[in-house]
Amino acid sequence: MAVLEMKEICYAYEKGRPILSNVTTEFEAGKMYAILGSSGSGKTTLLSLIGGLDIPQKGEILFDSEDIAQRGLACHRSSHVSLIFQSYNLIDYMTPMENVALTAKKDALPMLLRLGLTAEEAKRNVMKLSGGQQQRVAIARALASDTPVILADEPTGNLDEDTAGEITGILKESAHGLNKCVIVVTHSNELAAQADIILKLKRGSLCPV
Amino acid sequence: MGTIRRAYLYVTRKKGKSVLLFFILLIMATFVLTGLSVEKVSQAEQKKLREALGGEFYITVEFSESNPYFRETNDGEGNVELWTELPITQDVIDAVMSIDGMKSYDAETKTFVSTALDVFPGNVPMKAEFNNLVYARTVADTENSSFFQSGIAKLIEGNHITGNESNVAVISKDLAEANSLGLGSFISLQADRTVDVRVIGIYEILKPDSPLANIVTYEKAENQIFTDINTLQDLFGDKPAGFDSVAFTVYDPAQLDSIISKVNGLSSVDWRAFAVTTNNQTYLDAAAPLQKLQALMSSIIWVIALVSAVILSLILTMWGRSRIHETGVLLSLGIGKTRIIGQYLTEALMIAVIAFGCSYFTSSAVAGQFASGLLQQNISVSDEQAAGVAITQKDGFSKDVVVSIKDDSDLSDMPSGQDTAPEVEVSIDGAEADREQISVKIDFCNMLQLYLIGMTVIILSVGISSLSVMRLKPHKILSKMS
Repeated sequence: MAVLEMKEICYAYEKGRPILSNVTTEFEAGKMYAILGSSGSGKTTLLSLIGGLDIPQKGEILFDSEDIAQRGLACHRSSHVSLIFQSYNLIDYMTPMENVALTAKKDALPMLLRLGLTAEEAKRNVMKLSGGQQQRVAIARALASDTPVILADEPTGNLDEDTAGEITGILKESAHGLNKCVIVVTHSNELAAQADIILKLKRGSLCPV
Repeated sequence: MGTIRRAYLYVTRKKGKSVLLFFILLIMATFVLTGLSVEKVSQAEQKKLREALGGEFYITVEFSESNPYFRETNDGEGNVELWTELPITQDVIDAVMSIDGMKSYDAETKTFVSTALDVFPGNVPMKAEFNNLVYARTVADTENSSFFQSGIAKLIEGNHITGNESNVAVISKDLAEANSLGLGSFISLQADRTVDVRVIGIYEILKPDSPLANIVTYEKAENQIFTDINTLQDLFGDKPAGFDSVAFTVYDPAQLDSIISKVNGLSSVDWRAFAVTTNNQTYLDAAAPLQKLQALMSSIIWVIALVSAVILSLILTMWGRSRIHETGVLLSLGIGKTRIIGQYLTEALMIAVIAFGCSYFTSSAVAGQFASGLLQQNISVSDEQAAGVAITQKDGFSKDVVVSIKDDSDLSDMPSGQDTAPEVEVSIDGAEADREQISVKIDFCNMLQLYLIGMTVIILSVGISSLSVMRLKPHKILSKMS
């Protein structure tokens, strides 16, 4: 059953030049989705709309068959979706534990340990960690919030190949092991290849690959 | 993670910004607290000054044609007698004294009487017929009369006249000794009629007349004979006896105008017969520097609060822009705008609570000198303006302030008839003759006011600084961020 639905979503930054045009699709729990597309194709915009960071100019997004705008976007962001960004977006004056604790409904430390950080690293300032460690913290924050949907925008874009592989594994495990709906926006065909379903955004429309 | 926890982490981890904000708030709080405490002290000192100086008004018999009770008698030999059929009676005094805010009164009538006593001659030559004339000073109460209150004389034997006696007198020790009189002795006073009065009190002169002053016989302090109202009635037979003038003292000179309007509204008194004049110039002159100081402080507080709000808003706006990334992240995590602004507000308030607390010490250190400096400036201006009143400050920057009346022009109108103006010195810290210090103390009320003003400024500043960021959608913030 679809946990998230998009119905005839339209969005344009400039009038007459829609970046998303009547996008309709469904996302199910326990699956990892990859959305591919060239730069400027509207991948991040699509993710922003699903994540409740913006509202579509037309159409509706349903979570558990309920319009997310009806319950409030802030509520949607805090209860339904977790976002993972390419640039990690961690709070720079906090430790990994504190970053995870921002939204955590579970203990922060076990989550960080599970994702490969040591207890000492978990208490260090987050900016003193490597890129890969920071992205693990971002994923830990998303997982600790215990939302049914995880949205990742180029999660491996800044990482080396080995680390990217590990992060991809963690996301896949989250979808299959934790029954979450993981939606990844990426350029990377390697990452997309790991997804259960691959969608491509082209000329404002979303089509299965 | 809660708002307060996030705010605490920011304040403790971003030490540089926290310390900078702490000092900004400390400076602001020091100025505001100094202003508040100095303003309060100046208010308190004005109140003390009012209580110390009091305010006076006089009710006098209207000796003019506008008074329908005014009479003029000419004996055909050039002697003109002016009198009234409606003098100021005890009933009039009681009616006035029943008004709220009245403190005391000094009622007196001076009447020329002939006496067979050996009196002390003055140094101004007079006709022989006036040589045995003295003043019979009819008072309601000698103890509260200005003659005794101002320290010119002091009762050393017997009793004061309290108003309940009949045909009694209080005379000077010198007059008593010169005429071999003592307590219980009788002396004859003659006006329209002759009345024998019994001496019930003897006073000693503490401030003798200046040997250089030109004084007529009946004005000499030694020759003053105080009598009761019944004696006055007996001296003039059928003419109604009463007082020519009464000096009323009020507790608070600031209330003088409202009291006067109530006095004029007394329906039991026929005001065609009397005139009411006020005298609170002494208070106005003395209070002028303090009033200026208070007004200045009020302005300073407003200016500081406004400037602080502007500076704080600018700084927080600047910092808010540098925190746009954090704001976007928090929004993307589903933390509401209200909670984010709440965090920024809590951060500022956390630092403010400490800064405001510390301002107690910084303000305590500077408030006294600040107040002294400003007061000194105001005094130097007011000193030139004030007629007969000098306010001086001792020892440069010490806090001793003394208000002294150095000119007797204000006192010359007093009905007591004292000829030598006493050197009155009133410390602004009360009625005591001692020179007291004006000390600026910061109390709980000042601190409470500071916290209220400070919190308002901070809430406004945080609100203004958050506007630009909070108007953006999370998506736009994150776009800006990237």
